[in-house]
Amino acid sequence: MSLPARAATLVVAFLAVVAGVIFVAFKFIGAQPAVENYAPYASGGQVNVTMMTAAQTTVTNKPDWVSYFIKNPSTGNFDHTTYFEVPADTRVNMTIEGYDGCTPLRNPLWGKVAGTVGDVENVSFFNGKTSTPSTPLSTFDSWANCSVQHTFAIPGIGLNVPIASVTTYEENSNLCGTSPCTAANQDANAPHTVVKFSFMTPKTPGTYRWQCFVPCGLGYVDGNGGPMGTPGYMMGQMEVQA
Amino acid sequence: MAAESPAAAGPQIGGRRDRFWLPVAWIVLSVIGSLLVLLVWGPHMPPGDQSTSAASQQFDFTILATIATPVVIGVLLYLGWALTFWRQKPGDETDAAPLHGNTKIQATWIVGTAVIVLFLAAFGTYELIVPAGAGAGQGPQPIWKPAGATTSSLTSWTPGTSNILQVQVIGQQWAFTYRYPQFGGFETTQLMLPVDEPVQFNVTSLDVIHSFWAYTLGVKADANPGLNNVAYTTAYHTGYFQVRCDELCGIWHGSMYDTGEVVSASAFMKWAQATRVQLADVTKLLPPYADTYDPTNLSNLGAVNVKLGLVGAGGGYYNPADPEQP
Repeated sequence: MSLPARAATLVVAFLAVVAGVIFVAFKFIGAQPAVENYAPYASGGQVNVTMMTAAQTTVTNKPDWVSYFIKNPSTGNFDHTTYFEVPADTRVNMTIEGYDGCTPLRNPLWGKVAGTVGDVENVSFFNGKTSTPSTPLSTFDSWANCSVQHTFAIPGIGLNVPIASVTTYEENSNLCGTSPCTAANQDANAPHTVVKFSFMTPKTPGTYRWQCFVPCGLGYVDGNGGPMGTPGYMMGQMEVQA
Repeated sequence: MAAESPAAAGPQIGGRRDRFWLPVAWIVLSVIGSLLVLLVWGPHMPPGDQSTSAASQQFDFTILATIATPVVIGVLLYLGWALTFWRQKPGDETDAAPLHGNTKIQATWIVGTAVIVLFLAAFGTYELIVPAGAGAGQGPQPIWKPAGATTSSLTSWTPGTSNILQVQVIGQQWAFTYRYPQFGGFETTQLMLPVDEPVQFNVTSLDVIHSFWAYTLGVKADANPGLNNVAYTTAYHTGYFQVRCDELCGIWHGSMYDTGEVVSASAFMKWAQATRVQLADVTKLLPPYADTYDPTNLSNLGAVNVKLGLVGAGGGYYNPADPEQP
């Protein structure tokens, strides 16, 4: 092989490696879930955000991972993401449809509602046939009762909301099997809860991470692995706009 | 070193300029530099003086920097002196004088460095002990305790007594929570401390290894699951301080920080008593106060949880054959 040919081969090989690194960086390492932008939908200093929990993520290649979903404010569909954007200094009226089953909290402290307006959440239980009226609750005993499925916590603003679960063995044994749990999947009528609460976004724009404090992902003592440690499943970010 | 042998290096090297003015310049610059470090820079060195342990560490850094100043100045001055006055002349290919056999230089070097190193070893060892372990985690059975804090009742605490205030630090992915056993054992995300009162931090973890680092307090103790790591400090000044996790503990390790506050003893008592009442409903759900907690062994599990197989927050929820199961 002539010298120019060897040089050209070397350059091409080098560029191929660089291209591979760039591809991996952007495709995998730099990838992040889509952001549901609720900011344009804010009105009168308030914005309504809707999320969902499901016991599985059948729309991904991790079908047995629990996950949050967020309703797309434009289409009304639940998307598989945990990133959302809201305006600063705005009251967020959050609705979380909880389709997962109960699990004890590793730290019972997270069973107390904190940082919401009135330090309460309003919960309605649906057993598959009938719903209960929405009732304000402030503390959950997840060890003595089957009562909490996840938490929604934003440590940066002191927010902690235990997401109530359906409470009986039968309900927890007949959870939604396809996610997101919607009428299209014929799973909207599976036993679930509807948890509503409100909180104020910070006056300072920025990124505020949120997470679930229940180690229900892979459920092993050495930490919150699997979905608990993966953005797009049980943790995400709240982007606060100016 | 070539300057020590004027015969080998040329007539002007090792003369009065080198033997007199070089040491004089070193002494004068060292005195000025050391005083600047000691008096001007020292009071501003991290981690500050918000607590006994922080002030101790600041003192250590100041002393070490003051001692290092003449050494640094000596090296740089010698280098500059050599570059300026001892440059090799064109055509001069003679070697410098050999050090081997120069007993005076060798003895000076060995004695000088030995004195410095031995002093630093003794000083460092003493400062690791005083005050009360220098704010570092001492494990479950601490050796060096604060002077005057002789008892540690877990049922009550009053300012100004020998009963040391107990604060349990619980690391978990990804937050620190704080438990006050002498006030009914309430647990909170707020870290409040009284000024001028010795504090015993009992640091543990519910999951992986974290590290409790209140750096402006000069306190740092690893949070290990199943182990109580004890550290002491006494805050000198009121004000805020930052707490960070200093052990890579997962994806949100970088966000595992919060802000603590040192307040007056009366303000602390008011806060503790109010928080005790405010958190009473969740405090009764917490496990009894203990040095450590086992999240795989939960007490008082309800019938539905047991029937569902949810016997522990660390238990396996997935089939062991699951490829994601570690």
